[in-house]
Amino acid sequence: MKSPRVFQLTALALIVVSAVQVGWWLFDQRAYTIEKVNAQRSAYAAQTAAAQALLDSGASPGRVREVLPQIVVSGAQASLAPAVDQALRTEEQRRINQYAWEGGFFLLALGVCIAVIARALSTEARVLEEQDSFLALVSHQFKTPLASLQLSLETLALRAPPPQAARTLIDRMLTDIARMEAMVTQILESVRLERGRVELRSEPLQLRAAVTRVVTQLEERARSERITIANSMAPGLYVMSDALALDVVVRNVLENALAAVSAAGGGSIDLSTREGVGEVELLVKDSGVGFEPAAGARLFEKFTRLGAAAAGGSAYYGTGLGLYIVRRLMELSHGRVAAHSDGSGKGASFVLAWPAAQEREP
Amino acid sequence: MSAETTRPPQVLVVEDDPHLAAGVRENLRAEGYQVSAASDGEQALAWLRDNECGLIVLDVMLPGIDGLGVCRTLREQGNNTPVLFLTARGDPADRVRGLEAGGDDYLAKPFHLQEFLLRVRAILRRWDWYRNASATAATAVLRFGGNEVDFRAFRARSWNGEIQELTEKEAMILKVLAEHLGEIVSREDLLERVWGYDVFPSTRTVDNFILRLRKRFEEDPANPRHFLTVWGVGYRFLAESKP
Repeated sequence: MKSPRVFQLTALALIVVSAVQVGWWLFDQRAYTIEKVNAQRSAYAAQTAAAQALLDSGASPGRVREVLPQIVVSGAQASLAPAVDQALRTEEQRRINQYAWEGGFFLLALGVCIAVIARALSTEARVLEEQDSFLALVSHQFKTPLASLQLSLETLALRAPPPQAARTLIDRMLTDIARMEAMVTQILESVRLERGRVELRSEPLQLRAAVTRVVTQLEERARSERITIANSMAPGLYVMSDALALDVVVRNVLENALAAVSAAGGGSIDLSTREGVGEVELLVKDSGVGFEPAAGARLFEKFTRLGAAAAGGSAYYGTGLGLYIVRRLMELSHGRVAAHSDGSGKGASFVLAWPAAQEREP
Repeated sequence: MSAETTRPPQVLVVEDDPHLAAGVRENLRAEGYQVSAASDGEQALAWLRDNECGLIVLDVMLPGIDGLGVCRTLREQGNNTPVLFLTARGDPADRVRGLEAGGDDYLAKPFHLQEFLLRVRAILRRWDWYRNASATAATAVLRFGGNEVDFRAFRARSWNGEIQELTEKEAMILKVLAEHLGEIVSREDLLERVWGYDVFPSTRTVDNFILRLRKRFEEDPANPRHFLTVWGVGYRFLAESKP
């Protein structure tokens, strides 16, 4: 990884030096041309003065023209022939223009090269930084459930707890293992999404049916955590999406809502739909712990776990990747996702919008 | 023994992971400690505004204000409650950052339960010693060379009248040295008494703290009269300056 960077930096340095040299060459050539033309003008001025001196000493205009062909004599006055003066001006301008165009082109080409290499270098630096922070965050995410698992096992070994307490520890350990397994799945999924290695189909899907399928699977968990899910979605709305992607997106958003409501000690989740221009929106409104409005944009970034603080002692475990996966899948589905909350403790609403499909239920 | 010392020490556990927090709480309770919990930095600071405890077990990566920020805030507020950091980051640079923020000890996740309990006991024992050693009017205040140190308030007035806020480590080093007035105290002894076993990588740390104490209390820190270096061994503290 290091040697291409050294190569790029060397190339960049060489190009910058070349650009400076071209700039200097331009300046030097222009100055040289002006200097040469001025010298020529001085020589012609000397000739004109000499011609005038000859005229004043009584030489005939014909004799003067013969000796100094660039000089014209009008009456008793000698002056530089207008054609010569014009030729001098034209040559000066031609050379200056030539340097400006040639030099300008080279400078432009070198400037483009500098911009391309600088951009590549900054992109590479950003990618490396992201990789480092990704690894740091992944290791942190794993070490916490691992620490919990080790603590539970060592507690069992050290204290020989009564059966009920042992059962609690075992349940805790099983959840920790499930958590790590979910993390592995989500990390792999997020890496695939990031590298664009996911090919999504785009087919008309009945939104209400797809969402209801996910809701049915989460109903038992919702009941046990004192959460009611109200579904007032309009039937017959079709969206263009990949069936699996839609399932993953809805599941992640609903699991997020369940965790937020559970952390608030129970409450409700309302599902509704809205038809926009060329798109269909799914609204997921919850009465959960919410988040500070300014933090809304960060929600869809990797490893953001805003809910964890408010969750307190409840069993809320976010990997911090769920909503990132939602955003990427929605982008790949040509849809969009947004979240809003009025503040901590004030619930949250998520809007998922897909392109509308033409098919409608009869 | 006073009534205060017979009460089980109170420990505040600040950890955002519910399972880990529960495991730590349960084990501390099983060891006889009173335990309170907070799941983020703000909650911890709010709890500490109204309550006192003997030790804070503090996760470093917390949502909102992180553990290092919590510890720094406490120290700025003059709260010297000992802190044991728990963190997923365990490299030496992170350890040093934690200890510089005012932490007493640092344990990387995943950790061994018995090591955790041992460290909790060691920190509390060190603080117990410090409190007992500063319990009476005679031991709470140290006067030397025009300086006056109040061990209970972690405050001092130096020879030039400047008021100095001491960190708990500075106060503890001073206490150890004062207990061995005129005697040679090795760097290792100071490390063991003030920090415990393997917290810091080297005894250079002790030297840095001695330099800080000289700056605070010596009229000419380059030519100390109270905090004397015994080359190759450690330090000797003299209350009366050498003639």
